[in-house]
Amino acid sequence: MPPFSRLLIANRGEIAIRVIRTCRELGISPISVHSDADVDALHVHMADASERIGPPAPRESYLAIDAVIAAAVRRGAEAIHPGYGFLSENPEFARAVEAAGLVFIGPPPTTLESLGNKLAARRLAQAAGVPIVPGTTVALADDSRELAVIGFPLMLKASAGGGGRGMRRVDSPDDVADALVAARREALSAFGDGTVYAERLLAPVRHIEVQLLGDRHGRLAVLGERDCSIQRRHQKLVEESPSPAIDPGIREALFDSARRVAGGVDFHSAATVEFLLDTANNHYFLEMNTRLQVEHGVTELVTGVDLVAWQIRVAAGQPLPDAVMHASSRGHAIEVRLYAEDPYNDFRPSAGRITAWQMPAGPGVRVDAGVAADTDLQPEYDPLLAKLMVHADDRSAAVDRLRRALDETVIGGVQTDTGFLRWLVDDASFMTGSYDTGLIDDRWGIDHPLPDEHGALAAIAAIAVRTATESSPIRPPDSTRAGSAWADVARRRALR
Amino acid sequence: MSDLEARIDGEAVTPAKGWRFEIIDPARGIGRLINGAASMPALVEGKASDWVVTIRGRRIPVTVRSWREQVLAGAETAATARAGPAAVRATLPGLILTVAVSAGDTVDEGATLLTIEAMKMQNDVRAPRSGRVIEVSVQAGETVTTGTPLVRLE
Repeated sequence: MPPFSRLLIANRGEIAIRVIRTCRELGISPISVHSDADVDALHVHMADASERIGPPAPRESYLAIDAVIAAAVRRGAEAIHPGYGFLSENPEFARAVEAAGLVFIGPPPTTLESLGNKLAARRLAQAAGVPIVPGTTVALADDSRELAVIGFPLMLKASAGGGGRGMRRVDSPDDVADALVAARREALSAFGDGTVYAERLLAPVRHIEVQLLGDRHGRLAVLGERDCSIQRRHQKLVEESPSPAIDPGIREALFDSARRVAGGVDFHSAATVEFLLDTANNHYFLEMNTRLQVEHGVTELVTGVDLVAWQIRVAAGQPLPDAVMHASSRGHAIEVRLYAEDPYNDFRPSAGRITAWQMPAGPGVRVDAGVAADTDLQPEYDPLLAKLMVHADDRSAAVDRLRRALDETVIGGVQTDTGFLRWLVDDASFMTGSYDTGLIDDRWGIDHPLPDEHGALAAIAAIAVRTATESSPIRPPDSTRAGSAWADVARRRALR
Repeated sequence: MSDLEARIDGEAVTPAKGWRFEIIDPARGIGRLINGAASMPALVEGKASDWVVTIRGRRIPVTVRSWREQVLAGAETAATARAGPAAVRATLPGLILTVAVSAGDTVDEGATLLTIEAMKMQNDVRAPRSGRVIEVSVQAGETVTTGTPLVRLE
């Protein structure tokens, strides 16, 4: 019997579709929600029904607690899956879902409250005997003397922060006063809470996280780690499992620390404990997230465990079976994020309509996409278009598979980061797995002159297409739509 | 192959030797660059002289012009440089066929101002930049020589 008969997904894009797919497999009727900007979005078309929840601005739709809950009640949903981002870590939302008599697919509101406070989470980890990044465990006063003890450079972070916001690097004692004022102001405006703390800036480091799954019966499964060291401004771009940097001893130490942190938290859902690993293989607790991660698919590929399915089942009270408790990791998986961002222009977001959308397929390839051809990108939302994942017997085969998959990928209309990812798979430090969080700054850099050979190839293609369109017996239609001349060639071929 | 010339960022580009482009999906612009045993996918979007070619995930704007378009574009650039930003002058001798604007009109960059018949072909004279038209110095039927002031932009 399905754990629920109807479930509402309080999200959009690829993650809404990801949850819809598991709902289908479990026999649950998925209900989606949409803002006015998403009336024609892919996730809306894939659900059994969709409810309008407000105007395009997230604050008035995907973050509007009352509108989301009203939608769930109207449609008779029994549970709400929040996906990631938006309301997924909002204790007020979790409380409101329960108050409406529905099941929140996630931890109890009190857990979200305690872990949402990064300072409280640091104290919790420390109390559990887990090393934390050196720094303060109480809110910073205006006195900067305590920072001298931590050492420079250091990071000022917002206690209520996340996603890289409210963070500020400080290189010398002279800069502390100004940085403190700025960080407080930023934190206050972004999160309504100006509490900041300090951590030493560790570099070079790797960013490694441990996937956990808990049930309501006290069982806790540790489902391996993911290496998320390839990131830019604290936004992850590539994740892989297992981490190429650690041996079984370090892995076991990370798992042990993750278990200790989780032991102090009531969460009965999917959760991730994030660590930094320095060059001496010391690890430091960074934070714990009690929601589905963007990069969860990497773990699903190597363990064969459907994390979304188990999130839903444990929310309905089912215990984790031994098959999940003792799931082992097989082979190697890598995920790359296809973003509508321009890597040749400081990764600025690109806008527009997707004109062509050809995703890779074949052995060991998984694509979780939120868009398709003719999708208009909505500037209000995250520029993540799709996650391309590969799975193979070992890392070297996975890298080869990823290269092949990227070469099959064709996206038209907007500049994406695909070119950066294609460069990455041939980069020596990526191929050997010996990279750290500085890879993009150190090796990708700022200036990207067009290689002469690519210009010469582009000339061939453009001249060939112009020639083909002009030799057509049918006059190209007078249209400003990009690619119209191409449609003409298609017609000409069809006439043959 | 043809008299078509490709430019990237204003620089003429020599097409890669030995390579050809095979069309796979004309409606979407998807094709494959092939050279013997080597090949890679490419996407071509656009029309007339303005194209964007995506190779290895990078969008590359390519201007493809015929010999005639090259002459006109070169002359237009030269005229703009000579006359300063405010005046649009004839870049070649010919007959004014049509005048599309009059004093007081606001035009966008690239908008057609008038048409000149030259070398037995109709050629659009386009606004070098956006602005208001303060004077139109010619009318349809008039013959102009190279350098004749045609339109003044504010």
